Amino acid sequence: MSQLLAAIATTRFGLGAGPGEIAAAGGDPKGWVKSQINPEAARIPEAGLPSALQVIASQPAIYGIGPADPDMRMQAATNLREKMRAEIAARLNHAIVTPHPFAERWARFWSNHFTVAARSVPLSGLVGPFEREAIRPNVFGSFRALLRAATFHQGMLGYLDAQRSIGPSTVAAQQRDAGLNENLAREVLELHTMGVGSGYSQDDIIEFAKALTGWTIAGTRIARLGAGGQAQQRRASLDAEPGASVFVPGIHEPGARTVLGKRYDVAGREQAGAILDDLAIQPATARRVATKLARHFIADAPPAAAVAALESAFMRTSGDLAELARAVVDLDAAWATGPASAKFKTPDELMISVARATGSRAPRDMARFYRMLGHMPYSAPSPAGWPDDTASWSGADAIKKRIEWANDVARRMPRGASPGAFLEQALGELVSQQTRQAIASAESAEQGFTLAIMSPEFQRR
Amino acid sequence: MPRLSRRSLLLAGCAATLVSLAPGARAQQVATGAKLIVIILRGAMDGLAALPKIDDPDIRALRQLLVDPQAIALDNGFALHSAMPKLAEMYRAKQAAFIPAIAGPYRERSHFEAQDLLESGAIKAATHDGWLNRALQRAPGAYSAVSIGPAQPLILRGASQETASWSPPVLAEASEDTLRRLLHLYENDAVLKPSLTAAIGADMVAGDAAGGMGGSVGPAQYVQLLEAAARFLVQPDGPEIAVVSLEGWDTHIDQNNALNQRFGALDNAIAAARGMLGPAWDKTAIVAVSEFGRTVRVNGGRGTDHGTGGLAILAGGAIKGGRILGDWPGLGSSALYENRDLMPTTDARSVFKGLLRDHLGWAANDLDATVFPDSAGAKVIAGLV
Repeated sequence: MSQLLAAIATTRFGLGAGPGEIAAAGGDPKGWVKSQINPEAARIPEAGLPSALQVIASQPAIYGIGPADPDMRMQAATNLREKMRAEIAARLNHAIVTPHPFAERWARFWSNHFTVAARSVPLSGLVGPFEREAIRPNVFGSFRALLRAATFHQGMLGYLDAQRSIGPSTVAAQQRDAGLNENLAREVLELHTMGVGSGYSQDDIIEFAKALTGWTIAGTRIARLGAGGQAQQRRASLDAEPGASVFVPGIHEPGARTVLGKRYDVAGREQAGAILDDLAIQPATARRVATKLARHFIADAPPAAAVAALESAFMRTSGDLAELARAVVDLDAAWATGPASAKFKTPDELMISVARATGSRAPRDMARFYRMLGHMPYSAPSPAGWPDDTASWSGADAIKKRIEWANDVARRMPRGASPGAFLEQALGELVSQQTRQAIASAESAEQGFTLAIMSPEFQRR
Repeated sequence: MPRLSRRSLLLAGCAATLVSLAPGARAQQVATGAKLIVIILRGAMDGLAALPKIDDPDIRALRQLLVDPQAIALDNGFALHSAMPKLAEMYRAKQAAFIPAIAGPYRERSHFEAQDLLESGAIKAATHDGWLNRALQRAPGAYSAVSIGPAQPLILRGASQETASWSPPVLAEASEDTLRRLLHLYENDAVLKPSLTAAIGADMVAGDAAGGMGGSVGPAQYVQLLEAAARFLVQPDGPEIAVVSLEGWDTHIDQNNALNQRFGALDNAIAAARGMLGPAWDKTAIVAVSEFGRTVRVNGGRGTDHGTGGLAILAGGAIKGGRILGDWPGLGSSALYENRDLMPTTDARSVFKGLLRDHLGWAANDLDATVFPDSAGAKVIAGLV
């Protein structure tokens, strides 16, 4: 029994078993998962990866903190895309070798919850730093701190247009034909906290959007515009290093705000943070987070009791994410086997689990793999992030591409490698008799590997 | 009957599942026979290079370098780039039309934002679903759509399940024996079995496309992609709508060479679709659009930069062709948008609405609010078909 639970621990909670990992988890599978609940385990080696501040400073024209330079645009775009490629490779390599795969899965869950996607050249330089600076350090802290860090990071301010949002009654808004942008406020309510249809109104969105005005990137045209007023205001934004996330009073909509019936008198810089702190512990937020976690760790349609257990853990601890992680591990439903409790691997999960099982490094052609499977990291199709359900990843064309890829991986396996041994090591007691037989009767080791990788149990976690 | 690939040796059962390419069962047949192909030219095609107005008094001064001297004269002073002779022929046969100075409501110049808005049908912030998906949800009958390309494009994403996608192989395909063994292994798998069965069926329809495309959808693949779209459309019980993404139109540098190749490939691709559609061509409308146009003036690299007003190409036996539609805004500096781009005079949504209403016959569809939110101002263009 404990060997089966160990296989589940490494497959569903981890990223797929590497050599010897099922045995390592075997003594105490739940303890093996819980031992990874540790802030350090959610970080990745950062050597050679620049901070958001460094990225922006390296391309002042692209980020609007220096004079525009059309001649350098192509070169800058290449440079920033190269930075993103390096981030993707570092992240993938870490996922393949980490001894803390649950912490990595947990970090990626939150990175997807707070999606920032590379939908423009400037954003492609910020997606990696966003995840490393705003998400990873906070995934085992409080949800409140994570929400603040994600909302105010340069990546999110840029992705959801808050960077160029200006309080409509400020002098700055009159000088320039610009004004309020509701995008970040709307998505925080709809996606990051309470969820659509959970009781907030369009007025709440507008009020919250006004509270968020002022938050922008130091040194940009908008920030300089807002710095035009009083000396005190000028100092606030000019003191900040160009490229930093900064609050500029001159573009902040003055006055108290009312969100969800509560009045926020606190002025200026602290206003948006105070609203975020309250959103972070709304019951609707607890329900939304609980539902997403149960869906991720149990099944597309998780049992209501599991959702309720996570929801109450969230409310009881005011969103302590380490406690929430423990509550997830303690869900019996997350340790069940059978069709009702299986999660279909995303393409990224599939590639990582193959590489972990074979003890290899990130494949050189990772970008081609991600493109053909439609799962390029940091490129989710919308602020809602990547889908977390079977139907979105198991369409006919997607399965065909998985088989093509598995076939290609199989052809490149070293001579003498055994597909049966590969599958036993990766899945242990999760391997079915039918799959064992199919691999044993394959016409070649190569075909055996294709069947192993494409087997129903290896495609799931 | 379309050509079947070597996959035809596989279990005959797969062919029957072409019907369920989209998961929803097709309760009733769509009687009209109308077919629609939407081509998204990604990267912003230079409409002024495709269809220069050669009698505009300002065109030589502004972009002498980029006007094709061999352009094929059409009507009203417009000429079609000489790399597109087949489209010129269709125009003369009244099966192709052009709408210059077209744009959606978007006025910034980011490819990503513009494509998102073009496909979502929204005005400012892109919705999470596409206008064609929303239209499908309200279609009067069991319509379905297929997209050709590496991922389901936003235009077709959304709640309607009557959508599928197909893309040519990127790597070498698994052997037929391996597929048969997988089908056997998936015998009791409610997810993998129907998907693999449908995939094999789709491959049989699309034909054994040459492998090793590397996931690209550049000019060398245009013909193959349009041909594949047409093969799906002519299947009995096949989809009525196909969406094809053709990439590679962002011509900042040395535009003439790049466009010569792309226009030629697009011309061949539309002609190939005509060939594959056979008699269904008569009931087909093809619309090709880009997210925006390009600057009127030439940049320092003999190319053009992101602009505004573009060009829509309409083709197909159903199109009332032989016409240049819309209004020509002129190229005088006061006529240009922000003194750099062709001023848009036709809203792209008006064209889409016209095709949905008059070609597909989706008159009752809520075009002004649900399909294209807040778009009552973008009036349907009547008489496209």
